[in-house]
Amino acid sequence: MEFEPVIGLEIHVELKTNSKMFSNAPVCYGKEPNTQIAPLDMAFPGTMPTVNKNAVIFAIRVCNALHMNIDKEIHFDRKNYFYSDLPKGYQITQNLRPIGSNGYLEIEIDGKTKKIGIERLHMEEDTCKQIHFNDFTLLNYNRAGTPLIEIVSRPELRNGEEAMKYVEMIRSIVVYSDVSDGKMEEGSLRCDVNISLKPVGQKEFGTKVEIKNINSISYIQKAVDFEIERQTKLLLAGEKIVQETRRYDSNKNETILMRVKTDAVDYKYFPEDNITPIVLSDEFVEAAINSCPELAESKKYRYINQFGLNNYDASLLISDKDVSTYFDELTKFTKHYKLAANWLNVDVASYCNKNFITINAFPVCPKSLSELIELVAKNDINSNQAREVFASMIKDNISAIEAKEKLGISSQISDSDFVMNIINEVLKENPQAIVDFKEGKGRALGFLIGQVMKKSQGKVNPKLTNDLLLEELKKR
Amino acid sequence: MIKNYCELSIEQLHDLLVKKEVTPLMLAQQAIALAKLDKSNAIEYLMEKEALEFAKTLSEPEVDNMLWGIPFIIKDNFSTKNVPTCASSNVLSGYVPVYDATVIRKLKEKKAVAICKTTLDELAMGGTGITGHLGVTFNPHDKTHSRLVGGSSCGSAALTAAGVVPFALGSDTGDSVRKPASYAGLVGFKPTWSRISRFGLFPFAPSLDTVGFFTRNVADLSYLLEATAGRDDNDSTSSSRLVDNYHDQINKPVKGFKVAVINQILQVIKDQDIKNSFTKTIEDLRQKGVVVDYVDMDMSILSSLYPTYFVISCAEATSNNANLDGIKFGPYYDAKSYEEVMMNARTKGFSKFIKRRFVFGSFALMSENQNDLFIRAQKNRRRIVEAVNKILENYDFIYLPAAPSIAPKFTDKSDALSDEYLIADNHLCIGNFTGLPSLTLPIGKKDGMPFGANITGRAFEEGKVMQICSAIEETTGLKGLYAKGE
Repeated sequence: MEFEPVIGLEIHVELKTNSKMFSNAPVCYGKEPNTQIAPLDMAFPGTMPTVNKNAVIFAIRVCNALHMNIDKEIHFDRKNYFYSDLPKGYQITQNLRPIGSNGYLEIEIDGKTKKIGIERLHMEEDTCKQIHFNDFTLLNYNRAGTPLIEIVSRPELRNGEEAMKYVEMIRSIVVYSDVSDGKMEEGSLRCDVNISLKPVGQKEFGTKVEIKNINSISYIQKAVDFEIERQTKLLLAGEKIVQETRRYDSNKNETILMRVKTDAVDYKYFPEDNITPIVLSDEFVEAAINSCPELAESKKYRYINQFGLNNYDASLLISDKDVSTYFDELTKFTKHYKLAANWLNVDVASYCNKNFITINAFPVCPKSLSELIELVAKNDINSNQAREVFASMIKDNISAIEAKEKLGISSQISDSDFVMNIINEVLKENPQAIVDFKEGKGRALGFLIGQVMKKSQGKVNPKLTNDLLLEELKKR
Repeated sequence: MIKNYCELSIEQLHDLLVKKEVTPLMLAQQAIALAKLDKSNAIEYLMEKEALEFAKTLSEPEVDNMLWGIPFIIKDNFSTKNVPTCASSNVLSGYVPVYDATVIRKLKEKKAVAICKTTLDELAMGGTGITGHLGVTFNPHDKTHSRLVGGSSCGSAALTAAGVVPFALGSDTGDSVRKPASYAGLVGFKPTWSRISRFGLFPFAPSLDTVGFFTRNVADLSYLLEATAGRDDNDSTSSSRLVDNYHDQINKPVKGFKVAVINQILQVIKDQDIKNSFTKTIEDLRQKGVVVDYVDMDMSILSSLYPTYFVISCAEATSNNANLDGIKFGPYYDAKSYEEVMMNARTKGFSKFIKRRFVFGSFALMSENQNDLFIRAQKNRRRIVEAVNKILENYDFIYLPAAPSIAPKFTDKSDALSDEYLIADNHLCIGNFTGLPSLTLPIGKKDGMPFGANITGRAFEEGKVMQICSAIEETTGLKGLYAKGE
């Protein structure tokens, strides 16, 4: 029997607002525990929630990027349950009326575009962080109340690759729209996966298993594929899938049982009466959408259609938001887009990798790098020289022009008359080479160029030399 | 014999303070002395040190500030910075808040002097004043201590009625200020929902909760509302409507006002003395040119008031009190798991009455019951509001006896299924369902015990409510009523 996996993802994204979802305590990562707290975050009696306007703006940006319907009336509900990380005994969330509903995003699988439906996007607040020890638990309320958006996909993903691409795309959107760091390792983007299998053609879904807290994009694909295989084996062996929660162990590359879900928890949702519904004006929603920085897909389109980059280079540039920002800055100073993209994707990238830094810590500013690119573009220096200049710019913290001087690189000669004189001299001295060329001996051209270079002490522009020499040889 | 200043009104005290006949310190000392002598078991925490220290700083009277140097008391479900606050529940024993409720802050800014925190029915849930962790709070009008003062704002009602302070803070979710006001012969008031910030008021049922006041006359109330109403960014539900000049309004003529009395509520009251006094006030109002009509309301709506209130308030209460788990504040009992820690704190911290409400509220919210209970109650609330609003389309006010009896004895048993109990004893929650301003004031006495009537007006027409109540007050002879000591 053949099975068809049904996969849905729930993604929690921490918003990088200045303050918390419902209190004025700052949102900070990595501060001294329990120092970033307002009375509300610890649920002191009598405290009341006030909605963070920026969090709403951020949620709208993401809704818009995901082609969702935006509810212009903001409603909040309470999700009630007792847990040690939940200060109020309930979480303020949006149950009945999520701010975003019914959207989609597109992922690329084997060169083909696939639409993945998104059921809902809602705003809520994070819990406090727990650190468990053998006989006690520490609670850190700094995280309590951090704004979150939860994005729930429709169960339309079919394998690990699709799941991974989906998460990558969500990550790209929240990072590019400047609403989150989107760091899975730090927990600012958290992903829960629901997987079930059903016989091909069957309508009803099978029993679903939840995989929680996968903390890297690459693990998503592995975890999903492992889980599909595990469930397939069980079903083929005639066993039943148990509704349970599992986690992914990256060392063993397998999913491990955390707990079996008995009856689903009844969260007793009801409206949050301490927040009266907020009506969003059309202007507010529009302004929120317009405030969104350019998204990756739009940049990629622009790089290809406006700058003439190929798909590979463009994709590489947008795979890191900060690199694309650097590139955008670079294109303000040079129109040699292809060359600029190459330098970023190759030389700059390899420097950063070798030194374990991000583009933000790269010491050469875009304007300065553009000067080097301009030198290369007008053949003032050749590519080997350019790499030396590049190294010196970083090492000595100087401009491209200064580096070139420091290295004693004189400009390539691009004066046609001067080059022509040397060519004529060389042709006169090597008549046999002309004959060889005419007879189609490939090596002859290289030999003649070498002679011109030698005579000019390597100062003539090699491309110009090549062009002029070919022209002259044709005449003879 | 030393004159008891604390039995005077805010207006009278203000005069004396401005003339420097008394000082804030003298008033604070007297209020503290009286509070210590009081036998009604109304005090959770006496703020002796805090009050005297603050009063000492008040030297130059502020002529335009009616509340300058006036002593007052606070129901113990308002957050008071550095002053223990437990809402009369063991679950919060020893809890010292880190911030002031907005009303507390505003009264402090007006330089009113807080004297003590007062008892309440545990966590403000109850209407008797007998369920707080310190036990029964007595009605000061009954020297034998056999009658309740009503709740949940029992301590605030008892001490204001005993002439310990001229005003008190209370909170009103169903009738928790307006019902004890009736039993204690006080003016008890809740404004329109959202008129006064609730920030710092321990929530019972936020969709019904309001801050409220006890005073011994209507005029005093106008100053308090002016001082405490208004937008507060800490309470996003608070209204940004400008605050009226209520005091200017209260003495204006009431001629032409239209008052509706609901037949079906009046009919289920058996006490003829209360009915007679009530009718007498109607005649007096008509004398002043007020139109009073008897109108009908669907009995099925009236019978549904109490069950609807119980479902909604208990449901909201379970959630609002879920923060009381022993982990962050209140007594902590060590255990092997977080479940046990929470279970211990809540099992030991709450009385059986509270547990019963939580069980009921959780039951009403469970997904399989929500349609039948919580959502049905919400829909019925809408029906109640519509019925009331329909009356208020043609009338400025609804006017009724606040309760069907004087303060009951602790030994009295009421038939919880009778119309008198279900309707006449519980109709004040209409003011909470609708969020409308509502005021109880004394209109008569029986067997030495006071009883009151209640006016409910349109949204944000607090000034008009006080205006007509001031007119009623003129004719009752009970303005400034308090229970004199032995």
